[in-house]
Amino acid sequence: MARQYKTSYKAYSAWNYEKEIEDLNAASEQGWQLVKGGCFHSRFVKNPDVRYRYQIDYCSPDDIGRYIETFREQGWEYVNSTFNGWNYFRKPWDPALPEEEYEIFTDRESLREMNGRWVRFALGLGIALGLFTVIWIIRMILTPQLPILAQLIVYAAIAVMLLRGALIMRNPDSSKSRRGDGRLLAVYLLVVVLGTAATVWLGVARPGFNTNMISESLSEPMVDNRVNEFEVKYKDNYYIDLKIDAKAPFTFSIVDEAGEEVFTTTAEHFEESGIKQKLSKGHYWLSMSCDDGYDMNFSIE
Amino acid sequence: MKKSEPMSESYYYILLCLAKGANHGYGIMQMTESLSGGDVKIGSGTMYGATSNMMKKGWICEIMSDEPGVERRRLYKLTEEGREALRTEIARLSRMLENAQEV
Repeated sequence: MARQYKTSYKAYSAWNYEKEIEDLNAASEQGWQLVKGGCFHSRFVKNPDVRYRYQIDYCSPDDIGRYIETFREQGWEYVNSTFNGWNYFRKPWDPALPEEEYEIFTDRESLREMNGRWVRFALGLGIALGLFTVIWIIRMILTPQLPILAQLIVYAAIAVMLLRGALIMRNPDSSKSRRGDGRLLAVYLLVVVLGTAATVWLGVARPGFNTNMISESLSEPMVDNRVNEFEVKYKDNYYIDLKIDAKAPFTFSIVDEAGEEVFTTTAEHFEESGIKQKLSKGHYWLSMSCDDGYDMNFSIE
Repeated sequence: MKKSEPMSESYYYILLCLAKGANHGYGIMQMTESLSGGDVKIGSGTMYGATSNMMKKGWICEIMSDEPGVERRRLYKLTEEGREALRTEIARLSRMLENAQEV
């Protein structure tokens, strides 16, 4: 008979690992035996003839051989490790054995040490992302725009999630009282995934248009809306770099679909970068006129 | 001399079990249980953490067994520093016990 497998897509937060152990034990009782444990999904094989008790340890051992051997000596079978340092172990369940036989941390100090390892990791990463959040807030103040805002939300969500997790995990007793926050974790993960997708889309969809026009001498006004046209895909603040060097007054305008000038300036010499311009969704083109030679550089991002 | 920190129960029993000779993790666990009449247990996670830390402190070291039948088995051995740390802890515990008897 072919082996029957199933994959469970369930994410557990680090401070909720005891809930994961309970779920693995319950799955084993129902005949689903863990093949590979993971942070976001786990794989099981159907085998109703055995029953295991599970333990998860957060540890990146210096000596993996000695680590696995230490567990094997006490009847623990090593299942697998995740990329980020969580190790799964199981022991065949025997109703005659006392409950302590299924504990891997038998004193408070070692449990605190294990939790402390994760707390240090979470604090390090959480503080780094907190720093990014602050930098992105400053960027948002200097040049407000949606892609920066989306990325700011992602950084802030991960920072808050990790720092909150570190606080919970630091106190082993509180982790038991905070068990019901699986839904909160799902919200955080959703914010992170959607925020990342939004950051990418908002970044790619920006016009990223630039043009350079030079003329030695010219007397006729010119409008070239085919070459000098760009599209704005969503309403936001955009930033213009403009440089004009002309022998006579040069008029530069950005014109929208309705023919309205949304930006205009007239000068012989002009140089400014990062001019904030709010633009709605739609097509825009550049309108320029000058009675003599000029050199004009324009870009919008 | 620097005042030493009180030892955790697991550290204390591991050192105690190694005082008479090298042993492997499972042997330490069984000996601890029988010495303490089943009150003290050392789970695998606790055992790995404690032995790693004590190796870093230089209290114990790892040797390979050369007994026939169990060659290449990993054993832990008490070092001189480990023995000293155990002596200090025993002295501290006896003093505490004596103090209790005085009161």
